[in-house]
Amino acid sequence: MTTHSNAPIVMQAKGLVKRYGQVTALDGADFELRAGEILAVIGDNGAGKSSLIKALSGATIPDQGEVFLDGKSIHFKSPIEARRAGIETVYQDLAVAPAMTIAENLFLGRELRRPGILGSVFQMIDKKKMLEESIARMNDLKVGIRSMNQAVETLSGGQRQCVAVARAAAFAEHVVILDEPTAALGVKEGNMVLELIRRVRDKGLSVILISHNMPHVFEIADRIHIARLGKRAAVVDPKHISMSDTVAVMTGAKSAAELPHQALAH
Amino acid sequence: MNKTTLQLPPIATLGPFIALLLACLFFATQSERFLSAQNFSLILQQVMVVGVIAIGQSLIILTAGIDLSCGMVMALGSVVMTKFASDYGLPTPAAIACGIAVTTLFGLINGLLVTKVKLPPFIVTLGTLNIAFAATQLYSNSQTVTNIPDGMTLLGNTFKIGDTAIVYGVVLMLALYLLTWFALRETKPGRHVYAVGNNPEATRLTGIATDKVLLSVYVLAGAFYGIASLLSVARTGAGDPNAGQTENLDAITAVVLGGTSLFGGRGIVLGTLVGALIVGVFRNGLTLMGVSSVYQILVTGILVILAVATDQLSRKGAR
Repeated sequence: MTTHSNAPIVMQAKGLVKRYGQVTALDGADFELRAGEILAVIGDNGAGKSSLIKALSGATIPDQGEVFLDGKSIHFKSPIEARRAGIETVYQDLAVAPAMTIAENLFLGRELRRPGILGSVFQMIDKKKMLEESIARMNDLKVGIRSMNQAVETLSGGQRQCVAVARAAAFAEHVVILDEPTAALGVKEGNMVLELIRRVRDKGLSVILISHNMPHVFEIADRIHIARLGKRAAVVDPKHISMSDTVAVMTGAKSAAELPHQALAH
Repeated sequence: MNKTTLQLPPIATLGPFIALLLACLFFATQSERFLSAQNFSLILQQVMVVGVIAIGQSLIILTAGIDLSCGMVMALGSVVMTKFASDYGLPTPAAIACGIAVTTLFGLINGLLVTKVKLPPFIVTLGTLNIAFAATQLYSNSQTVTNIPDGMTLLGNTFKIGDTAIVYGVVLMLALYLLTWFALRETKPGRHVYAVGNNPEATRLTGIATDKVLLSVYVLAGAFYGIASLLSVARTGAGDPNAGQTENLDAITAVVLGGTSLFGGRGIVLGTLVGALIVGVFRNGLTLMGVSSVYQILVTGILVILAVATDQLSRKGAR
């Protein structure tokens, strides 16, 4: 995939500030996400990347600055509001209910109900339809899990993460935010999740990927947003920059101005 | 991707049935009176109060909570409904409703303390256990209420299948089990109870109002304790301020023996019925063998620890 330098901007943030007491986590951070891209967000601990993601996903409310979705100013007060606006977030380690089936996990919080009075008054869920839809959606994303009726805890770590990502992708209208989706996974399992993230992008969704894993970031990101000291240090093009230069910007050893022009993404 | 799709029922599902069968087999060899329709009908009658309390307890334990106050709240409910009828001359249905309202109120208080004040259920219900006990003793002057209207003991009446007399209350208990089992399995609120017990944070992040789920579980449990109050009055023909003392722990024992995990999110409420029957069969069988009630308590204690250990070990296996 080439960098979508002319793709429209889906999500944007301008001058975000977030302070926690004496600590300034975000210090005028800017952010841009283009349609149909995988944007990796990297940064050292304390660089403000998780505060940035929290502000975008509605988990925290920034003190200053503005967030735009499709050009419209938005003010999320909770992750649930962000979700209603079409932004799905997969939180690290917090994604699934292990003893429940894959189908139930996919539809958790938006269960399909039986038609008529059984669904409306008696709140009965339509297990058959949820199962069929789960199979269709997982096939759509080519997640090869045989039975949607097995408990999530019977799956491997990578498969579990795939279920969480697939759930987000199946319901997101605009943006999928993934927080360290390949952390704690083996090589093969990590690749399985990366493949899935690519397919999510190829469906036309925009993906924000927070990751510490540089090889993974360079493997699938279309652009890389480097957070540093609560600001955006640079947005780089992984095809035209080395991993060591990227890390240098991240740690402050190099400034964005010192990078060759083609290394910067627009 | 080569995970097997063949799913054997986990030991937590089959274990209680096997334990119940083994217990029955054992007592059948020890006493010829054990294996009779009459005796089984008696066991059912003996477990109906604790059985209904244990439905409420199951709901709470499914959310990874616990309710230590259940038996005491039940006793308070039975004293309230009998005294309201005998002392204030309230019509029977109104008195029953008041008793159930009081137990439901206790459920509401437990639920609010757990969800709003964020206190651990163990501590909250340890507190309300004592409050309910004291309230029962104070309100009743520690006197058993015996002057109760006939209408209040209707559920203690029997009908016959063949030669065996069956108490209506037992039928009510079985119906409540089936209803709860169905609701937990097939309805949206039911599935949310499991989700909250499984992973509260993930459930909250999917947009489910987890506090509302928890609160309604505690309130509903309170209502079940109220129905158990009525069954207790029907069975003993009195409002007994000292009722509920064995039921308190027996209800938790029944839930755990029935294969519901104390860690929440796993278990089937019909298993609780089996668990209650196991407790009932042990009590009945040991009595028939002439074993003193202290040993029955000893056996119950051992059973609980065995059940929790099985739960813990099978969870480790699943990880």
